[in-house]
Amino acid sequence: MLDALKDVIRKSSIHVCLINTGGCNGCDIEVVALLSPRYDLEQYGIYVHNNPREADVILVAGAVTEQWREKLQRIYSKVPEPKIVVAIGNCPLSGDVFNQEGSSVYAPVSDFIPVDAEVSGCPPRPSEILAAILAVGPDAIAARGRQKV
Amino acid sequence: MILPIGPIHPSLKEPLRLKLKTRGEKVLTAEIDYGYVHRGIERIMKGKTWQKGIYLSERVCGICSYIHTQTFAETFERIAGERAPLRAQFLRVLTNELDRIQSHLLANSTYFKALEHETLFMYMLYLREPVMDAIELLTGNRVNMGWNVVGGVRMDVNQSHLDSIMKILLKLESEYDRYVEMFEHGPLVGLRSHDVGKLSRDDAIKARAVGPIGRASGLKHDLRENHHTYRDNLDLKVIWRKEGDNFARTMNRFDEITQSINLIKEVIANLPEGDIRKKIDIPAGYGDWRNEAPRGEVSYFIETNGNLIKDVSIRTPSIMNIDACAKYMLNDVATVADAIATYASVDPCIACTERVIIVDESGKSQEFDYPNYPKKNK
Repeated sequence: MLDALKDVIRKSSIHVCLINTGGCNGCDIEVVALLSPRYDLEQYGIYVHNNPREADVILVAGAVTEQWREKLQRIYSKVPEPKIVVAIGNCPLSGDVFNQEGSSVYAPVSDFIPVDAEVSGCPPRPSEILAAILAVGPDAIAARGRQKV
Repeated sequence: MILPIGPIHPSLKEPLRLKLKTRGEKVLTAEIDYGYVHRGIERIMKGKTWQKGIYLSERVCGICSYIHTQTFAETFERIAGERAPLRAQFLRVLTNELDRIQSHLLANSTYFKALEHETLFMYMLYLREPVMDAIELLTGNRVNMGWNVVGGVRMDVNQSHLDSIMKILLKLESEYDRYVEMFEHGPLVGLRSHDVGKLSRDDAIKARAVGPIGRASGLKHDLRENHHTYRDNLDLKVIWRKEGDNFARTMNRFDEITQSINLIKEVIANLPEGDIRKKIDIPAGYGDWRNEAPRGEVSYFIETNGNLIKDVSIRTPSIMNIDACAKYMLNDVATVADAIATYASVDPCIACTERVIIVDESGKSQEFDYPNYPKKNK
């Protein structure tokens, strides 16, 4: 009974932290576009606040640069359980155009932290990012929350 | 007390570390750390053909991605001593101004978010989405458009698309004034913006401030005035202000959006017929070109051997503007909240700014050539 109630609440309040680990910030502005009245992120109970200590979902955008190699893991460990990671854009998946000889990126992100969902595209459309968060977000958060309790 | 903000923080959109030296609520000085999104684009670009380089140049920055490809293409056109066909030049202006509108709307929305004025923040994003539709209609993508090639643009536009873009702009124009008035005459938003984050004309020259930030401080400098397409075919007056505070910077962007709408109308009315692309044979040589990005002046310096890029250097506007903000605007700010708002009013774009240059004491600068750069750990 209590678990079921917690599930309902967890599913309808998803806090998102966006981390740009070294991309072109094209994905960042698509996440900002999600806040606009057309997509209206908050009607799904998703709230973007960029604070890792309160987040349920981490959005990673960008190939991992030198500075982020350790900081990304540190930020990941600061996020409370249950947590899920969504990699948006081609950069966290493969490094995109930056992953060439002589560059200073260390893609993919999955070498550093576990990734739950991947959205490809350079950048993906806002609706795709929203669909990805909604596809893995609520159920995984609820399920992992039950495991810990 | 030192108050560190970032690299991941609710008030920042992009990774950057702000160190504010505070006494109580008062901010005394500020320091900025970069380096979180340094990817080494200039280094990757060396030894590639322009067909590969143009994709990299587009991904220097995601918000003003368009102007980077245009400048890249025009640098090569300058090396060859040729210009794109007139229709291509007009289409470039059309896309550039659409990109400027969406970038300025985003910049102002971020400023209103920093002021915690959620209503105007939402209205700005509401105005921005149709402009993104117009860009998608024209080029096929919302952010990284891939629209420019050396010698012209990638594809032609037909009349029905132009009509739709015109319809979107007319709707934007009819709704737009209301929101500008909300900001211009709103007592609360005005109080938070007037006389905050002052940058005087002398300081703007010292800090090399460019774009809307320099123009709001009285520097009458807009590179579009000297660009051949604007100079020969279009009517452009430089918009500038004297106050140099947050209000002036935001209003300068609003006025430039109005100007961009008028320029697009002029382009659509006078769009000439003809080719959109011509073949250009690139000789070996060196060329540089500058253009007005939404945030100011972006320069490309390229050396080529006729086929491959031998050397490339990119100078983007945000680095000067962020330094102007850190050094001159964030001195003796009344509250930390004002410091954040001032920082947002500069429209910082971190992905642009990440370059490594070593300047030694004699003033000679050289590019960092990665002497013992760590190898990949694979």
